[in-house]
Order: sequence, then structure tokens, then C-alpha cells
Amino acid sequence: MAKLWTIIKREYLERVRSKWFLIATFLGPVFFAAIIIIPAWLASRSKATNEVYSTVILDATGTGFGQRLSVAIAGDTTDKRKIPQVRIIAPAMLSAAESTATREVMSKDKVGYLVVTDRTVAGETARYAGRNASSLPDMAQIRTALRQTILASRLEKIGIDNSRTKELTFIPLDFTTERITERGRGGSGMASVMFGFAIGFLLYMTIIIYGQTIMSSVIEEKTSRVAEVVMSSVPTDTLLAGKVLGVGAVGLTQQVLWITTTYVLLKLREPIMAKLGAPTVSFGLPEISLGAAILFLAFFILGFIFYSSLYAAVGSSVNSEQEARQAATPLMIMIVFAGVFIQPVLLNPTGTTAQVLSLVPITSPIIMPIRMAVTGVPPLEMAGSIGFLILGCIAALWLASRIYRVGLLMYGKKPTMREMARWVSYSR
Amino acid sequence: MTDNAIDIEGVTKRYAGHTAVRDLTLRVPAGSVYGLLGPNGAGKTTTIRMILNIIAPDTGTIRLFGRPSSDPKITERLGYLPEERGLYRKMKVKDVLKFLAELKGVRGKEAERRIDEWMERLSLKTPEKDWGLAKVDELSRGMQQKVQFIGTLLHDPDLVILDEPFSGLDPVNAQALKDTVVDLKRRGRTVIFSTHLMDNAERLCDSVCIIARGEKVLDGAVTTVKEQHGKRNIALALDGGGMEGIASILRDTSLVRRADDSNRFFEIEMAPGADPQVLLRRVIESGASIQRFEMIQPSLHQIFLEKVSRAGPAGEAAAWAHVEEGMSGHG
Repeated sequence: MAKLWTIIKREYLERVRSKWFLIATFLGPVFFAAIIIIPAWLASRSKATNEVYSTVILDATGTGFGQRLSVAIAGDTTDKRKIPQVRIIAPAMLSAAESTATREVMSKDKVGYLVVTDRTVAGETARYAGRNASSLPDMAQIRTALRQTILASRLEKIGIDNSRTKELTFIPLDFTTERITERGRGGSGMASVMFGFAIGFLLYMTIIIYGQTIMSSVIEEKTSRVAEVVMSSVPTDTLLAGKVLGVGAVGLTQQVLWITTTYVLLKLREPIMAKLGAPTVSFGLPEISLGAAILFLAFFILGFIFYSSLYAAVGSSVNSEQEARQAATPLMIMIVFAGVFIQPVLLNPTGTTAQVLSLVPITSPIIMPIRMAVTGVPPLEMAGSIGFLILGCIAALWLASRIYRVGLLMYGKKPTMREMARWVSYSR
Repeated sequence: MTDNAIDIEGVTKRYAGHTAVRDLTLRVPAGSVYGLLGPNGAGKTTTIRMILNIIAPDTGTIRLFGRPSSDPKITERLGYLPEERGLYRKMKVKDVLKFLAELKGVRGKEAERRIDEWMERLSLKTPEKDWGLAKVDELSRGMQQKVQFIGTLLHDPDLVILDEPFSGLDPVNAQALKDTVVDLKRRGRTVIFSTHLMDNAERLCDSVCIIARGEKVLDGAVTTVKEQHGKRNIALALDGGGMEGIASILRDTSLVRRADDSNRFFEIEMAPGADPQVLLRRVIESGASIQRFEMIQPSLHQIFLEKVSRAGPAGEAAAWAHVEEGMSGHG
């Protein structure tokens, strides 16, 4: 037991102290934060740009409509630069004014010009020409301002007090959209899908990264021949167990750090978004019960044991990293197979595919946590999934330990599948 | 309780295609320096791995200091230097040694004290430079070998097993290793080494066992072994000139049964009934300038060649090839 601890300690400390671990652990949350914050920030950028304020209004109405429109476009701002310039034009001079404005836009003095006429006041037509004509938010802002101004002048015509028209026409509507699919409303369901995806992706990545870490670690011990010295001091099963547990603990440490910092970042998201000047959309974190958390942890640990012991077996059977990459292909296919089903299972977490995949040990460590995140899983299915996964782990460990103890001492050419099958039958 | 450090009784280990060790019985007296000799592929490493309980024999038993080799307590009394050496390259030297010490049950302050002591003894720690703080990678090959010795001996094992310890050693480290072996022997430890370098074995070992193709060919105290093979051998050394005549004399099977030709030095086994005086006369007549002509006991090298070449059909050529390879490689 003391020796197992020695092995675990070495595997853990050597990795946690390495600069790659520090970099990955630090960059992980930055990456997650980027994923969460940048899209929201970009979304906020897709509000109207500042360019809209550099529009020239060519007012041929002779009613001061342009001036009011200008104020409506500028909105609440008191910044003089943000109030579009208005040129009062006699209708006959309009085409000349338009050519002047066109030149100004071409020489980039102005962004565009808006022509308002009698027909605009009547609510029939208005024309805009400019470099930003394809910007939907800019055009939307101008259109809204036009409507507001038209409405205000109509209200005045029927005798409503000038001071009240603004109040009546100003509609700061916050328009949220929600998607309905065959599964029902999106909304808060979206958060749990994202959560499920995050869990699945995290497990998937961790198994791949740390599975390969174990494989490299075994190859290093084998090729540097340290393995033989260590094997003369501890049984190979202890060595294998120490490796799986030590590297697993590193993976767990990283995940805990990632999840904690990501959680904190999410909590701090609103202040951060406010700093960036972006409006915040409340982002409900799904509540996780202690029981669910323990189950997630169990799936992580079991899934990790299942795959990493097999990775260790592959590492022990080869003589170099290059050989390993090839020899690990079947394992990679198994994991990618599970990864491919992340999305289908998210979309249909109660279907037959999801049910079957969460029973098979190859896929269950990734698929079952996803299902747990997005839907309720019947206790019987849960028990079955964990039960089969434990059996899978025992089988994987049995197989791996037998390949491992023979493979570590076999140098030279890469063994064939048949030779490896024979190793399994060796006594020791 | 027994006085033997190792009792191997009828041990056989088979692999898919071949039998690595066949019905091997060996006793290594406690406190002796014991040589396990044999050509490459003879089963030395397999035997050592079985002693260390890295692999288990198919049949037979191995007892160390009277206990089964699978007894976990026993492993802490063993020190092992494998043929192919290596350490964790990215680890600090001190951390590697601490790790190895902990695996043998030496922990904490005690481990650190011993590491410092050994590092100083092998001048890896001097007032100017403490290599213990460097990574294994940064050490020269010679220094890494020293670190590996330390790792083998740190827990002061009762039984030290060295697999081909001289391979790849520079002369300075080779001498340090010999000194260490002698020192271990004085302190009553048992040292086993496997080698195909007969000169080293002859000088260092109290007893030897020669194995070939997985089977024991011969074993016993070095003096006894040599006496038992006390045929009349001649050591002949020449001073350069007159070599041409010698070759034909050595080919005369009525006079010479076997000759080991090392250019200027010859170890000659006389043919049955041949008279060494006749040989001496013939050599003088050939005009060679003789530096030494002495009747000697056969060297282990000679015995080894004879025994190994008899052990199987592939015969002498194979044995020669192995010995030559060993000599040119590391001698």
C-alpha cells in the first residue's frame, strides 16, 4: 500500500509540477470564458454602429421633419457628434443636393444620406443611400426612427401636445426570441443542453488527453528501462494501479480547477459584460444535486479507469511513440465513436440509441452523464449503466494488467494481435 | 534457516516458441560474489527476473534467504541493476533517488541522508555543484550510471543483482563498480552478476555458474571449477616477430587440441598425451621470440568456450560469436 502511494505520488507530482499542466489549467478557463463572453460581446456589437450618426438628412419637407428625425436617430444622446446633420433643401434642388451628398459619401466624409420628402411625412416612401446600406442593425435603427417621427407628426396633427408625443411614440421594446422545436420550448432547456454538452465534451477530452498521457508515461518507463527497476520493487499490478490513479488524480485536479474557475467566471459574467458595455442576458446555471455530482464523478472515474488501463496496455506493448500512435487507433476509434453520439443523444436523450449507448461501457462514461444533464434517467437504467461499466473496468484492468506485465519486458518488434492474445494467457 | 542467499530448485520457464530456462538448480552462498555466465540468450536475464519475482517460473521454486521469492518483504532486501539502464529523464536526480528509495521502504530524512552520503562519495555532490538538483537529462552518461548504482544500493540490500554491470561503463566507473563490489562483499552482502566478460568474472567471483540455452552447464567455486578442468594448458606470449611459423604449429592436432589466439597471446590446450616440451621446442625452432611460456590452469574463458560449445549443436561458432561480441563491445 505504501508503495502504491509512492507510485501515485510520483505520477501526480511530476505532472502537476510540469509547465504544461500549469499552462493548460490556466488557459482552460480563459478559453471557456472566451466561449461564454465573446459571443455575447459580439452580439452586443451587432447593435447599430456609430456610423449611423454620421448620416446626412436631406430634408425636402419644409416642415422641420428632418430635425425631429435627427433627434430620434440620435436617441437619448447629448453628444453633438452623434446627432445626424440636417440639410434643409428646396424640393427643386434635391437632385443637386443628392449629388453633393453622394460625393461626400464617396470621399468618406459621410456614411450615407437619407432623403425625406412630403411622401415620407405621409408615411409612404423614404430613401437611404450609403456605405452601410447592408448593415441590418443600422437600417433597423433608421427605420424605427422614421416610424417614430412619422407617428409623432401624425399625433401632432390631431392635436396631441408636442411634449406627449415623445412619450407616446417612444417604445424601448426589448424583443427576445425563443425557439420551439418538436421537443417543446427551448428557453431554459437550452442551458441544460449546453451543460450536457459541456460535461460530455469535458469527459471526452479528458479521457483522450489523460489516456494518452498514461500511454506516454508507460512508453517512457519502458523505453528508458526504468520499468524493470520499478518492477523489481513493486508488483506490476501495483505499478499499473498507481499510474492510473496518479494520472487520474491529475485529470481530476484539472477538471475541478476548470469547473471551479468557470463557475466563478460565470458568476462574474454580468459585471464583466457590464464593463465591456454589453447588455447581459441572464444565464441560469442548472442546479446540480449532490447525488448527481457524485454520479458524474463516478462516471468520470470509471470511464477513466476503463480507457486509461487500456491505454497503458497499448503503451506497454510498443517500443516508441510512433508505434503507439498506430497501436492506439482502435482505442481512439472507440472514444471517437462515443464522441460522435454526443449531439444525437443531446437531441434525443430518451431514445433507444441513447439507452443502448449508456449501457455499453465503451460509450456509457460519456453518454450517460450527458443524458443525466438533460433529462431524468430511470434508476434502473442508471444502475445498469454503472453496473456494466464496473464490469467493463474489471475486464479492462484484467486484460491490461496481463498485457502490461508481459509487454513491459518485451523489446524489439511490435507484437501482433495474436502475440498479445498469447501474452494474456501467460501466467506471469 | 539456510546459509544460502538464493536457492533455485528445478526452475523452468517456457515462452511460446522456446524454453528460456530449463530445470535450473542453483545455490548461491550468502556473502559470496557469484557470477552467472553465459552467452547472450542463455537465460541469464530470465533467471534474474525470476529471482526478482518480476516473472514467475512455470515450475520449480526460488527461495531467497530461506523465504519464497514472492514474499513482499524480501524485495526490500534486494538491489537490482538491470542490463539496460535508465531513469526518469525529466525528473530531478534527487527525486528519482528518493522515489527508488521509497519503493524499497527507505523514507523521509533517512533517505535524504543516504542520498547525500552516496552523492558525495561518488562526487556527484561537491561544494561547487550539487547534481542532485539537476534533471537526469542534464547529466552525462557516466554520471547517470553513477546515479543508477546509487539507486541500486541506497537501501543497503543484502543481495545485489547486477545484470551485465560492465556494459557501457567507462574505465573510471568500471573501477568504481569493482571497488563497490569488493566493499559489499567485505560487509557480508551477496553479489550476483551476470556477464559474458570472463576476465571480470574470473577476478571478482568466488563462485560461478555457466548456463547455455537455458540449462546449467557447470557451477561451483571458481578455484574448484578450474581444478576440475585442470588440464595442462599453456600460456604463450610472443614478442612480435616470427608469427608465421606459429600458425602451423597450432594447427597440429597431434599436439594442440585447441588454441585461443589473441595475436600475441595464446592460451593453448594440449592434445591428449602431447608433451608440452615438444611444443616449446617447436615454438623455439619456428624462430619466434618467446616472452612467456607457462603451464597454467585453464582460464574461465577457456572453460566457458569448451563447455558452451559442447552444450548444443550450434556449437562453438555461436559461443565464439557471443564472446567476441561481448569483448569488442565492452572489453
